[in-house]
Amino acid sequence: MENPNTAKLVDHLFRHEAGKMVSVLTKLLGFKNLDVADDIMQDTLLKAMTVWSYGNLPDNPAGWLYQVAKNKAIDFLRREQLSARVHSEYLHAEVTPEVIVANVFLETEIEDSVLRMMFACCHPAIPVESQIALALKTIGGMTSGEIAHAFLTSEETIAKRLYRAKEKIRTEKIQLDVPVSGAVLPRLESVLHVLYLLFNEGYNSSHPDTLIRHDLCAEAMRLCHLLTRHTLTNKPSTNALMALMCFQASRLDSRVGPSGNMITLKYQDRSTWNRQLIEKGFHYLDGAAEANAFSVYHLEAGIASVHAGAHSFENTDWKAIYHLYEILYSINPTPVVALNKAIASSYAVNAVSALAELERIKGLEKNHLYYASLAEVCLGLGRKTDAKKYLESALELTDSKTEKQFLKEKIESCES
Amino acid sequence: MEQFMLIFHLGGTGETNHGSPEAMQAHMGKWMAWVEKLQKSGQYVSGEPLLPGGKLVAGPNGSIVTDGPYTEGKEVVGGFFIIKARDINEAIQITKDYPDFKFGGTVQVRQVMKIEQMAV
Repeated sequence: MENPNTAKLVDHLFRHEAGKMVSVLTKLLGFKNLDVADDIMQDTLLKAMTVWSYGNLPDNPAGWLYQVAKNKAIDFLRREQLSARVHSEYLHAEVTPEVIVANVFLETEIEDSVLRMMFACCHPAIPVESQIALALKTIGGMTSGEIAHAFLTSEETIAKRLYRAKEKIRTEKIQLDVPVSGAVLPRLESVLHVLYLLFNEGYNSSHPDTLIRHDLCAEAMRLCHLLTRHTLTNKPSTNALMALMCFQASRLDSRVGPSGNMITLKYQDRSTWNRQLIEKGFHYLDGAAEANAFSVYHLEAGIASVHAGAHSFENTDWKAIYHLYEILYSINPTPVVALNKAIASSYAVNAVSALAELERIKGLEKNHLYYASLAEVCLGLGRKTDAKKYLESALELTDSKTEKQFLKEKIESCES
Repeated sequence: MEQFMLIFHLGGTGETNHGSPEAMQAHMGKWMAWVEKLQKSGQYVSGEPLLPGGKLVAGPNGSIVTDGPYTEGKEVVGGFFIIKARDINEAIQITKDYPDFKFGGTVQVRQVMKIEQMAV
């Protein structure tokens, strides 16, 4: 069925508003009532889905959602006899639930709630892996499946991490707050990691039908921008991450061809890169430069800036990129970094050493990009039979239709 | 053109839980596309969703009020469309786009009776 205009009007509205709604409701009801906030959000979207499906789209869909959520929140407060349960910040004997709810739902308060929610999810009492899963689900509106993809793990594992996070919130009585200055930095690290993963899921989606999900990238950038505007969180690493996202986003539209096919960096038309975003990237990279300030985002943004500044794939300073990956690997020795380092080495050094590096990597046996990279290097060495074998492994491991098409074309070219 | 009422019975447990906000939105998009398609072809007359619950009124004086008409989740009516179609076959054809089949939903297709007008 074709995509209609009415559905376009509310495109991504649910995901955009879900995180905000849960954040603001949690601020109102307290972190211990996160599940109630989640239920109210679900009920609200369900009601919208029922009513709007029959062609009754309101003039202001977002406003409609908030009105329904507000009413449900007021009902909940009444039922729970607000004085006993509500977050102490909103306890004023003479104000009615309506007034409290109206105040919390002010636009500025909503933004603030999202910020608070990010930090609350990253509370040190919650295990780091659970923190990030919780934040991605609650603020990013990501499903367990998408989070599993981001962590190269199973949905079941993610479900367990989410459960553990909620247990901790209950037992430790964690509040929804922005930590005082000394405690900001360790938590900021987790918050930035969340935004990094959110952006990545948008940049290389696990969804079968879409390679790129602009809404996730935009949401990650919006939240990171929010952090750069808050004195406590405007740190060099925040700026470095923002720079990285700007550089990557500048190439988003160039990654997909007219028929929805994927175009790799090598074959992209560089004149279609978004210059404005590249300039912004360099601007934030300047902001990230500070004595002793150093993070993985500095390195990744540095690598992205080399690509952004290169006039062609061949004229790219691959030696600089390879060197940056070497440093990155020394402080963050993950298989994915090793993969990227090996790819860079195929241009900076040669295909033989790249292949050796790739063959040493452990832990990417289920990653299609790993096999696609092996194939690419084998092709460079003229080993078509090996390349074909690796491409077939990659084809089996990806769900993305775009990537499948890309790999099938490659396999055919190996047969000729 | 004849008019038909399409009565939608919720499938499965009678719940329409589609998981993530994105999945709910995608499902809604299918309904919207269906309505829009029927509006464009001039076949859509009206449609409303129904709240769950409701009462069944019976007895000689309408004095017996019970919960109903359906208590089984899967039989509950979720809503209805009034559409225009040449005949029952075309009306059935239209239901092919009903997005809830995959959740076990069913559609009852009923022709609206035309009352013969007396010639003036």
